[in-house]
This record gives sequence, structure tokens and C-alpha cells, in this order.
Amino acid sequence: MTAILVDGLRKHYGDFAAVRDVSFDVSQGEVFALLGRNGAGKTTTLEVLAGFAAPDAGTVRVLGLDPVKDRTEVRRSCGIMLQEAGFFPDLTVAQTVDAWRDFVAAPRPRDEALEMAGLTAKAGTKVRQLSGGEKRRLDLALAILSRPDVLFLDEPTTGMDPEARRNTWDVIRDLAGQGTTVLLTTHYLEEAQRLASRMAIMDHGEVVASGGMAETLAAQTGRVAFELPGAVTPEELPLPPSSVEGRTAVYRVADPDLAARTLLNWAGERGLRLHGLEVRTASLEDLFLDLAADADGHPENEHAKEVA
Amino acid sequence: MTVAARDLVTVARFDARLFWRDRTALSTSVTLFLLLGVGLPVMADRLQPGHPEAVVAQHLGILSMLLVLATFGQVVNTLTTRRDQLLLKRLRATGMADRDILGGGVLNLVLQNTLLAAVVSVALYALTSLPVPRDPLLLLVAVVAGAAVLCLLGTAFTPLVPRPEVGAVMTMPFFLLAGVGAGGFGPLTEMLPGWVSTLLGLLPTDAVADIARIAYAADGTFGGDLAAAAGPALKLAAWAAIGLFAVSRWFRWDPRRQ
Repeated sequence: MTAILVDGLRKHYGDFAAVRDVSFDVSQGEVFALLGRNGAGKTTTLEVLAGFAAPDAGTVRVLGLDPVKDRTEVRRSCGIMLQEAGFFPDLTVAQTVDAWRDFVAAPRPRDEALEMAGLTAKAGTKVRQLSGGEKRRLDLALAILSRPDVLFLDEPTTGMDPEARRNTWDVIRDLAGQGTTVLLTTHYLEEAQRLASRMAIMDHGEVVASGGMAETLAAQTGRVAFELPGAVTPEELPLPPSSVEGRTAVYRVADPDLAARTLLNWAGERGLRLHGLEVRTASLEDLFLDLAADADGHPENEHAKEVA
Repeated sequence: MTVAARDLVTVARFDARLFWRDRTALSTSVTLFLLLGVGLPVMADRLQPGHPEAVVAQHLGILSMLLVLATFGQVVNTLTTRRDQLLLKRLRATGMADRDILGGGVLNLVLQNTLLAAVVSVALYALTSLPVPRDPLLLLVAVVAGAAVLCLLGTAFTPLVPRPEVGAVMTMPFFLLAGVGAGGFGPLTEMLPGWVSTLLGLLPTDAVADIARIAYAADGTFGGDLAAAAGPALKLAAWAAIGLFAVSRWFRWDPRRQ
């Protein structure tokens, strides 16, 4: 069953086209990720789905309902984690959750919500004293309070430390396992890859990659780079680099460890040193550089696909 | 209780809790209300002893002004702050209806200010020559209806307020106009050109003061009171209609997008 349907969505703010022609659908119990940089139109898409803004064109349905016309009904079955909404700064975490329990129907017990969000130890802390990551967790606690059928998460783990991030991922996976439909936006490749069963990559208000292609791109989360040793040309390397920037060879691969080991063995056998060797997780920016290169038809990019 | 009424009361209770923790709100909307509301009529009574009608005039004038401060001004402050901190948006995300989110706040302020007006009135009955109103029910109606209409107008006014910081400055003229019109600064209207008093007479606070004066009038009948209050009541109803229309048409839940 389709829980979320977006078909040909367009949304303008004044002259600015925040979303132009976006379509996707999410089945019940599925985790779907909208991956994109700031200003890609992810938040706008989510806001239209949550009924905060009416679409300029296109069809949007949540559980078969129109989020604008049936706003109250849609909101009652949805949990929303907003990207930047405020809290009442002088209430404690527990007081905030208690107040919100009054605002929603059939809420979870306060302690259960705090436990799920990993905020039990902060129950007595005033919201104004929470860190950015802790506020995100409180946001999560409020979003899941009403045991929603559909969960909208706008960059749920931004500002969280690694442990909180993993904990949040666990919560999202558990909820999805229990049948909750999750639509999340993120600019972390890893997050989309770990959580989502399907994803779409958005840029400048459009879906630039979706389905298998988006998954393939997001899977290339590794980046290996080093300076080419003196006399070596890119063609001599044991693995063809994704790109060569000046004298720096760059690889975009799913498994950066393996690539780095292959390259180091090769260099070791020849008594060469790989200066400035860098092995790291690729960012969304790296991915978009690839996409841009793809669009320009750079031949180097063919290698990226082979390595992947 | 229906679901809608439940949400309305929930929001009102929540707003009351936040209000009584907020020192700024307490100092302006409560302390000032009590100090001026009691203080000025007491002074008027001391300066001109034996003129209860002057105390009534001073009391109703200052009460109208303070209602503007504690309802219109308070609503503007609360709503613009919540709008800019995206708290209205968060409240909307709960699934509560828009009218309950806004109405709950209004309900709280109406109750609160009716209570404050009662405290001020009782203090004045004890401390001054202010007579107990002949028609207390009508006085209650005036305060409740006035507070509700002023809250509604405050809500309607928020789209014109770009930031919460300028809310106080932007509501100040209404506070002063209400004071001049309803006699909070003394019988100023008598010194102003006729058309100015006519215009000031259109203010909702003027209608509140008019109805209250009928309640305090030395003699009259129930039927006579109703007939006399019909005009100002109609005026308040017109303001309520304007407020409702403006809110449904122009109210902004989000800070302006760039």
C-alpha cells in the first residue's frame, strides 16, 4: 500500500522555485530518504507533505489524504521532526514532553518517549540548556509521541554525536519494523544508505537520481586520494582513478580500505611512496562533483563506475 | 466535552502555565495592571473626594487602557515571539486545529484579565468611593467581550509586526488612543475637536467603557440596560467580525520567508 505519494510537485516562494517537478512514492512500513544539499528542496517537499504549505502544482497524498484539505486528520496520523522549530526554553525536557502528551491523542508514556530518544538523563534539564544534538533528540521524542503511522524526519541527526546518531538510527529502524512509514531528509550519504530501503537524490528542486542509480551513488561513500609519485602516469596505477586533479589521483569507491590497500601494496612493491594519502568517507559534495562531472561528460567518470 | 473543546482548554491551560512563569509578562500585564488599575482611581478619589462619578470615569478609562495592554499587547507579543521561534509551527505539527491553538491563548487571556479586572474592582470598592455596579453581570459581559475582541484584534494585527521586538512599540499607539478615548487620562475628549472624539468613539475600548458605564449608572432597568448596551455591543460585534476576517485571511504562522 502506498503511504506517501508525490506526483509532479512544484512549489515556488515568490520568484524562487523551491521544488520543480518532484515525484516519488513510499510504501507503508518503508524508509525512504531524500538526499540532498541545503537548498535542494527537501524541506519544502516535507512541508508540503505535512500540510504546512500548499503545492503550486502536482498531487500530494499521505495515507490517501490531501495534507492541505484534510490537514488535521493527516497531522494526527503523522509525526513530524522539524528542522529548526523552537521549543519553550524555560520548560524542562520532561515538562515539554508532558505538555505535548496533552496535545496529541493516545500518547506514549513520557518515560518511554524519553527512553527512545535517549533523553532519560536530561529529563530535568531546561530546554535552553540542551545542546543542539539533545534538542534534535527532544524533537524526535515529540515526533514519535503520538505513535504515528507516518514519520517525517527533516535531517534527524544533524548536530548529534555519533552515539546519538546510531541510537536514532536504531529507533527509526525499530519503528519501521513495526510498520511505521518513514520519510527522512538528510545530507549524510551514510545515513541514507544505512536507513533507507529506497532513496532519491535532490538538487536545485529536482530529483537528479533515484532508485538503483541513487543507491549506487550513495554506496560510493569512500574517497581515497594521494599525490601521484614523480614519474607515474594515471594509466600505470593498478586501479583507474575516478579523477585526477592536478597531480592528485582521487578514487570514489564503496570500499576505500580495499582500494587503499591495493594501492599501497602496488606502491610498496615498486618502492614508491604515496604522499598525502587520504582515506575518508565521501561527503554529499563529493557525490555532486561526480554528478556534475557526469553531466559534463568527463571521461574520468567512466572509471568511477568501473571501480564501484 | 468534545475533542475541539478539549484541545482549546488544553492550550489555554498550557498558556496560563507559561504566562505565570514569564517575568516580563508578569511585570507588564499583571503588576502594571494592578498598580495603575488601583493606583490612579485611588489618586483621583483622594484629589477630588466626594465625587464617585469621577472615580467611575477614571476607573473605566484606565481599565480600558490596561485591557489593551494585557490582551491586545500581550497577544501580539506572545504570537510574534512564537511565530518567529517557529513554535506556532511546532504546535501545529501536533494535529491540533488552528483555531484551538490561537483560541486557547485567547481563552487564557480573557479569563486572566477578567480575574485581574475583578481584583482591581474589588480593591477599589474597598479603598475608594467607587460604588458597586448596579448591574454586575453587564460589567462582566463588558470585560469578557472586550478582552476577547481585543485578543482577536491583536491576533489579526500580528502580520503587520515584523519582529517581536517591535511589538510593544507598535501596540503603544492603540494603548494611548484607548486611554484618550475611554477617559484614562481624564476627560481629554472634551478638549478635542468633535470629529476626533467621534473617531475615538469607534474604538472597541470605547464600547467596553460605554457598556461598563451603563452597568455603573445609578438607575436603570434590566430592559433599559440592554437597550442602551445594544449600540456598543454591536460595535464590538463589528470589530469581532473584522478581526475574524483578518485572521482567517492574513494570519501568518511562519516568519516571512526570504
